[in-house]
Amino acid sequence: MILTLLKRELKVARRNWIGLAIPLLFFIIVVSLFPFAVSPEAPVLQQLAPGVIWVAALLAMLLSLEQFYRSDYQDGSLEQLLLMSSPTSVAISKILAHWLLTGLPLVVLSPLLGVLMQINHGVEHSAHTWVLMLSLVLGTPTLCLLGAVGMSLTLAASRNGLLVSILIIPLYVPVLIFGASTVTASLENMRYNGELAILGAFLLIAIVFAPFASGRALKISVG
Amino acid sequence: MSQSQDIQFDGLYAHELTVSRSEQILLEDADLHLAPSTITYLYGENGAGKTSLMRCLAGLLQPEHGTVYWNNKPINHPESGFCSDLIFLAHSLSMKNELTIAENLAFYAQLRLKDRVTTTVLKTQISQVLIDLGIGGLERRMFAELSAGQQHKVALARLVLEPAKIWILDEPFVNLDHKTRGWLAAKTLEFKKQGGTVLFTSHHHIDELPVDQKVGVEHE
Repeated sequence: MILTLLKRELKVARRNWIGLAIPLLFFIIVVSLFPFAVSPEAPVLQQLAPGVIWVAALLAMLLSLEQFYRSDYQDGSLEQLLLMSSPTSVAISKILAHWLLTGLPLVVLSPLLGVLMQINHGVEHSAHTWVLMLSLVLGTPTLCLLGAVGMSLTLAASRNGLLVSILIIPLYVPVLIFGASTVTASLENMRYNGELAILGAFLLIAIVFAPFASGRALKISVG
Repeated sequence: MSQSQDIQFDGLYAHELTVSRSEQILLEDADLHLAPSTITYLYGENGAGKTSLMRCLAGLLQPEHGTVYWNNKPINHPESGFCSDLIFLAHSLSMKNELTIAENLAFYAQLRLKDRVTTTVLKTQISQVLIDLGIGGLERRMFAELSAGQQHKVALARLVLEPAKIWILDEPFVNLDHKTRGWLAAKTLEFKKQGGTVLFTSHHHIDELPVDQKVGVEHE
């Protein structure tokens, strides 16, 4: 059942790719402006890189939340989905599709932006890039899961973009802290296992609770 | 609740239902029984609460008080099987503009049948029902490209493609041409003959469709 829902999500998204490209473009543009605005010096950029890339990724995710359940809510298909399948499986398929369409592209684009921010300056290998990708792989799904809860709670409010941001950003901050500090630790040649483990723990907690919470909230928003 | 379970009501049975919308009570302690093989016509003025009552019976809206039973089990009980037995057609057509007609219809059919139907069988069924509805050959058109009336017909096609035991239809006859009204009335009667329960609203009397029960919702 989740597979049927997921296939539909991906099909709709493929026909509507411009909406998906906007958060990614935003991500690229924000990061690529830093070398112009701050300094093109490699050491400076390298020091800023973890924070800048992570903040940009977080904002891009926040930007993409707007289209999470909205169109399904407006055309009435969300109602039908809730009637025909369990709210939790609706939420799971939505979250999965959302991550595949926004989180994953962010992860894939991040090495490029790492190069732009001179993340591997002074080292021969590209270990820092891998750490950056790994931190995003663990962090962005958590952002998706938390965002889903925020979106489903505020669906019935007509202009909910700002409301979701206010509601969700406090929950995003811990992910941001540990995501960026994973990369910083790697840049300073320190161990970063601890930070990664905490990111993983956030993800596991969110996987357990968020789909259920989001499903419940959807039921309330539709009713 | 225990009292009502002693008495057996097949079909849909709402017990002491209180429905409210925006803190205004629309319906208080109403009992309603929709038996199998009956067609029920729900009437009332605009804003009287027909849609709210339907959404409540479908399980989308939580009633203030009271329970809705499907074959003597509360509708939200997993064993009642209500979610696989119900087709609820609302004002919003619930179709995605980005998908073709066939994709939209196939998605709902597959969701209901849990992939027990093959794509080829479904494809033939979809072409057939579209021909019956007078929009044959438009399967590959995007839903957004259709006229309002055609879009409405696509939503009605779900009634034929998905097996169900109860239909709750909000204004199904609105915007329909004469021929499609006849088609819908015939399909509804056929569904009734097979033991189906039907609840529908309409602003006009539908000559083609004899009803077994009339229920009115009125302002206080």
